[in-house]
Amino acid sequence: MIFIDYLLRRLIQMVPVVIGVSLVAFIAIHVVPGDPIEIMMHGRAKPDVVAAARAELGLDRPLPLQYLRFIGGALIGDLGVSIIQNAPVADIIGERLGPSVFLLTYSTVLAVIVAVPLSLIAALYRGRLVDHVIRFAGMSGFAMPPFWVGLLLMLLFGLYLNWFSISGYGKTFPDHLRHLFLPSVTISLSLAPMLVQSLRAAMLEVLSADYIEVARSKGLTPRRILIKHVLRNALIPVITILAVNIGWLLSGAVIVEYLFAFPGLGSLLVRAVGFRDYPVIQGLALVFACLVMVVNLLADIGYMLVDRRVLKE
Amino acid sequence: MLSRVTYRTSRSTAKGLLGFAALSVVASVIFITAPSTTSTAAEIKRGGTLVFARPDEPLTFDPFTPSDNGSIYAIEQVCDSLIEADESGIGLRPGLAESWNISSDGLEYTFKLRDAKFSNGKPVTMDDVIFSLQTAAGPTAAYAFGFEPVKSFEAVDAHHLRVTLKQRYTPLLAALSLFSAAIVERSSFEADRKQFGSSPLCAGPFMVKEFSRGSKVVLVRNPYYWDVGADGKPLPYLDRVEMLYVPESNARNLGLRNGDYDVIATVAFNQARSIKGSSDLTLEVAPVFRLDYVYLNHAKKPLDNKKIRLALNYAANREAIFKAVYFGFGEIPNSYMPKVNYHSDDVKRIPYDIEKAKRLVAEAGYDGTPIELMVDTGNASFRQIATILQQGWTQAGLNVNIVEFDVGTAFGMTEKGEYQAYVSYITSDINDTDELAVIQADFNSGSESFYSRYNNPEVSKLLAEARAASDSSERAALYAKVQDIVYHDGYSVPLNFVPAINAYHNYVKGWRQLANGWWWIENVWLDK
Repeated sequence: MIFIDYLLRRLIQMVPVVIGVSLVAFIAIHVVPGDPIEIMMHGRAKPDVVAAARAELGLDRPLPLQYLRFIGGALIGDLGVSIIQNAPVADIIGERLGPSVFLLTYSTVLAVIVAVPLSLIAALYRGRLVDHVIRFAGMSGFAMPPFWVGLLLMLLFGLYLNWFSISGYGKTFPDHLRHLFLPSVTISLSLAPMLVQSLRAAMLEVLSADYIEVARSKGLTPRRILIKHVLRNALIPVITILAVNIGWLLSGAVIVEYLFAFPGLGSLLVRAVGFRDYPVIQGLALVFACLVMVVNLLADIGYMLVDRRVLKE
Repeated sequence: MLSRVTYRTSRSTAKGLLGFAALSVVASVIFITAPSTTSTAAEIKRGGTLVFARPDEPLTFDPFTPSDNGSIYAIEQVCDSLIEADESGIGLRPGLAESWNISSDGLEYTFKLRDAKFSNGKPVTMDDVIFSLQTAAGPTAAYAFGFEPVKSFEAVDAHHLRVTLKQRYTPLLAALSLFSAAIVERSSFEADRKQFGSSPLCAGPFMVKEFSRGSKVVLVRNPYYWDVGADGKPLPYLDRVEMLYVPESNARNLGLRNGDYDVIATVAFNQARSIKGSSDLTLEVAPVFRLDYVYLNHAKKPLDNKKIRLALNYAANREAIFKAVYFGFGEIPNSYMPKVNYHSDDVKRIPYDIEKAKRLVAEAGYDGTPIELMVDTGNASFRQIATILQQGWTQAGLNVNIVEFDVGTAFGMTEKGEYQAYVSYITSDINDTDELAVIQADFNSGSESFYSRYNNPEVSKLLAEARAASDSSERAALYAKVQDIVYHDGYSVPLNFVPAINAYHNYVKGWRQLANGWWWIENVWLDK
């Protein structure tokens, strides 16, 4: 019951935040110079045709009214119609949401699978050669620009070895795994080093804590100590990092999306901004705000599961 | 016999009636009954799927809404108009209209419709034709201006359409060949226009099977298409075309090399050589009606001074730009507009001469007013060009800063006159010098000489004469004179006559880049 209560409270808290974000996005994109109809017509159309098109789309109504119309529609699930693509915004975003979330999950899973063992080894063998090698490799991976890394991966695995697909999304689940492998590796090469860094630091802190001494004196095997105590407590900063980065990656993966011709939300946002496609930009702002809040909520639940002390609060 | 084909490119210009009113085009009829293909009957292999990677994607298949090259080039493969561009992109041929004749006063055109079917087997009726044309000429259609002189579209009988004009208008045929004058199936269009934009019902060589925005369009052959190939059987030769959206040029290049793609459009200049070197790939470098140039705002200091504008030209190191940015592709221009039919090679080029540029700047009494050279963000080649130009111009004694804006904002500022110099380009939609010559150099044509604010009454007079002249060589002489005057007035800083560069595997046959920008996929077959 307490948990359901908590969940409900959090969901209600989401509402003002999401509205606030959509309001800021709305104001920002309307303040920036550039008009979608004129951009589309490239100086070709006469002023009265432009005015007629704007009126048809409701772009000449006062801004507060346009915003209210948008929010009103959003509440019933109607995010409007894209100016450029002449299709419902909800459909356009829906088509790309799945792939983006898949890419995100895939990258995170890869990053975690790589980061956990590496950080464990680095923490346990602290100060030794293997620790330095791991940290150096992490730093290098982090420093390499994703655009360049992506291209190299495409060249090596896509062209010379021909093991993986270099673009698109694929149709079936195994197809997705194949098509998204290279983009996910590219993203995780920036994500994993951050995880290794903080996991290692957290583990070191935990390893030197009193309760570890106690556990050891109680006769627990090192392995049990590791899993039951060290990993668990080290997970907290990791969850924080993941939550922050996933929120960013939703749209931040745009460079990888362009490189691998991947139909994701990031490239949709960039193109919509370029064309001043207001309905799409507003719809995306809303969707991103919701997703980020959901991710934060999941992170908080994660903390609760990992650390019983949080639940007691 | 010169006929014209018209379509829109992403850098299309403000077209008034003037752009089309070239009365010198002989209003005769061209019948081309031979099938539109370059392969011989014996060797053609039918069937297969063509995978084609493009840098833009269609946003909609609705032919009447404002569109971009991504959409136009795709619509051309799916929807036929009454008249179509021919194989070279320079002439016209019959489309859904199998023949036409023109009354002696030039005010009535009568078209005979052929027996054709939409991709669902339904016959193309006069009702569909009139509805489509009226929509194309209607108030919200993007290319309605092309039909301004039309008084009415009416049916003479079930197979004959009469178009009545308010005044003589030879570009009517060109206007009818536009993608925006496509013939659509009326009931499905009216029932759900948005749905039509995703899944159109037209009478072209292909039909849309799948449209995943941001990813790809899958086209399959229209089994009811009217045109036949060299082997006497209906076109297209291919069963299926996958048009993929791959915005990154490296990705297209790699995809071509590893066999993921059969054809790629728009190969980056710096990648073209590597394709040339490959033995299973063919690099296609085809001339198109495009000129890259620096727009100059004649209404802003210091560019209001002709000597300064000429100094910009003398100090522009075009050779360096040609090598470093264009990798030797194209041609250094001697004109203010792209190479269209009345281009004159005789106009003398302005050479690279820093000393002369310095003298001109001094003579102009340059007071140090900075020149802001605007570039679109994200356009690396234009950025490079701006840097090279800045170097030369600074050497000549000018104060130059490079500024970047996103392309929508930059073009908006150009339209409003809030700019001094802008690195960009222009393309011609039709193979007639008149269109761009007037738009770019005639101050009264509606866009103030395409936002340059260039005002030269002598040029305006010559252009009006050229438009009215009926003799081809007379027109040529007049346009050559205009080219000379405008270029040497320092109208702009022309940079390159840019070609289109595509690449494909050697087993792709019948592929050809048209001068007006797109390709006829119906003529393509795979030799494998």
